[in-house]
Amino acid sequence: MENMTLLDFARGPGLQWALWIFCLGVVWRIVGAMYLLGNKDLSKARRTNYIRSGLRAILTRSTPAEAFEEKIRFQHISGYAWHLALFVSVLFFAPHILFFESILGFSWPHLPNTIILFSGAVATALLIALLIRRATHPVQRLISTADDYISIAVVLLPLITGLAAFAHIGLRYETMLALHLLSVELMLIWYPFSKLMHAFMTFPARYQTGTFFGHRGIKA
Amino acid sequence: MRKDQNLGEYLRSQGVSRRGFLKFCSATASLMALPPSAVAQVAEALAAARRPSVIWLSFQECTGCTESLTRSHSPTVESLIFDAISLDYHHTLQAAAGHGAEAAREAAQEENKGEYILVVDGSIPVDNPAYSTIAGISNLDMLKDSAKDCFAIVSVGTCAAFGGLPGAAPNPTGAVAVSDIITDKPIINVSGCPPIPVVITGVLAHFLTFGTIPELDALGRPTAFFGQNIHDRCYRRPFYERGEFAETFDDEGARKGWCLYKLGCKGPITYNACATVKWNQGMGFPIQAGHGCIACSEPRFWDKGGFYDALSTGDWGTREALLGAAGAGAALGVASAIRARSRKKKAMAEEEA
Amino acid sequence: MSSLDTIPVTTEVATGNVEPLLHEIRHALKRLAGGEQGTTIDLKSLPLAPGEEERIEATLGTGEVRAEVDALGPTLIRETSYPGVWLITHKNADNAVVARFIEVTYIPELLRSQPEDIDAGIDRLESELRT
Repeated sequence: MENMTLLDFARGPGLQWALWIFCLGVVWRIVGAMYLLGNKDLSKARRTNYIRSGLRAILTRSTPAEAFEEKIRFQHISGYAWHLALFVSVLFFAPHILFFESILGFSWPHLPNTIILFSGAVATALLIALLIRRATHPVQRLISTADDYISIAVVLLPLITGLAAFAHIGLRYETMLALHLLSVELMLIWYPFSKLMHAFMTFPARYQTGTFFGHRGIKA
Repeated sequence: MRKDQNLGEYLRSQGVSRRGFLKFCSATASLMALPPSAVAQVAEALAAARRPSVIWLSFQECTGCTESLTRSHSPTVESLIFDAISLDYHHTLQAAAGHGAEAAREAAQEENKGEYILVVDGSIPVDNPAYSTIAGISNLDMLKDSAKDCFAIVSVGTCAAFGGLPGAAPNPTGAVAVSDIITDKPIINVSGCPPIPVVITGVLAHFLTFGTIPELDALGRPTAFFGQNIHDRCYRRPFYERGEFAETFDDEGARKGWCLYKLGCKGPITYNACATVKWNQGMGFPIQAGHGCIACSEPRFWDKGGFYDALSTGDWGTREALLGAAGAGAALGVASAIRARSRKKKAMAEEEA
Repeated sequence: MSSLDTIPVTTEVATGNVEPLLHEIRHALKRLAGGEQGTTIDLKSLPLAPGEEERIEATLGTGEVRAEVDALGPTLIRETSYPGVWLITHKNADNAVVARFIEVTYIPELLRSQPEDIDAGIDRLESELRT
């Protein structure tokens, strides 16, 4: 359309395409992964209560093994704090809830802006700290791929543009808002094809590992 | 006011005292959103100001802009601004019509070559010039003819500034803004649907006082009036910060005057002086009356989604489209799994062989 | 009164601009007392909530001087309860407010007789005496 502003694009076609790609990609990945479950384990079952083993793994793998605890404490705590701060900012900011409501059809209570601003700032700072650690820590550096860095970048962008739009820093509000939406759309597009899929995969994967361990009689 | 008189001489000849003139200057400076410290400068410039000729063209419009302007025509102070300009052609306000009136316009253009101010309200249809004509002259031809020798153009209202309502999708007349046609003259966009009356007079007062183009923003609007967005200057802003929103137009929050963001207020993306200059002699503005801002001074405001849709929502399409995408994803997932399995089978068969 | 008054709408809204404005007046007064120039504040340049202008007026109160200038419509000039702080309301011939200022000064310029007007007055008086 002629004369379409950046914001118009971000609120219209940009959003539509991003959501389509996101839905397509996420379902593609999940369905594909589910088919892998069809691979039969030919070994003799050592234990029969797989469900218990599966659920146990979800719990045990949510905290670091005792032997490593001290070495990865920072990562452990800041990882949880970062996710918590992110969820507060994303899910309890009034304008965000209106966005979700327009798609989902229902809403929930919001928090005052000061809390959102605080959690947004905490999330941004923690993610930057974790990124620096990843880039400098010898072991983490070794096991990091381009996927890790790109995924962090596409999550960091909405945080930074969101805070800037909120605080009226930098460009004019409508431009900042457009950049915020576009950065979210970039994240949605990158999401299914990257490690960001962990949001959908983590718990089922742990469960699956647990049942596998159960079958083999591994205690872990 | 005679052409050879300057404004100071004219006012004195009308029996206006120096006190009255200083008052006029204070009000004019306030009107132009200048700081009070500029009054002396304004007084000096105004006393020596010459009477500019103004030609006002109305194209595809609803006369709302002229209505708005005539509301600002409260006697004495602002009428002095109108006495001080020579409004040589305004087909809605003038009694004359037809070829005689057009002849007057052409004469005024000839007489004030290079000096007159052209005010335009309304958009210009370019799909078919016959959609809007005056005395048999198409809007397009009249604009080009009158713009040729003008000093500057003031596009009054969102239609003239950005296409406005006639330009809204599907834009049946091919309506365009003045700036889409005239590219070799300074254009000042005084947008709004309608613009705040004192903003129109403020811009004319600026010409009268300084004879120059005021400082403009990226959309050609005077920054004195369009420099800040409504949200930043809104007296309801503290409620936004505290997360106190009216959910409907008649709930407890609405009665307490809480923020109208959830009811679709477009204040954060709208640049205008409503929150400070206000309307009806400073009585209030839409948000004060309990309705969200509809972004009427912004380009394409008619096509920016519903007036009552919150700014943070977007046009995300339809549920069917999302389900379709998910379905395609499922198909891709199945296909890739089948492919992987057949590859595995083939590999196993090869190994066995 | 009219039925409009029965509609329960609260107008007690605060922009937080009243306090800073009063502080600005305090600073302007100190500057004036210290021999510096006076200050003029355009009340229209601030975003004020309904009722806040009245609150400013109420806080400033009424002082000893009240004057009305009749030039291009009435202009009301009032010293507030704080000497040196003047409230100036320009109205047009229709009694509609066209501008409002707070002036921090010893005497508002508009109250002084203006040299141009004095000259015109001399001319008038002389011609009066000639006849």
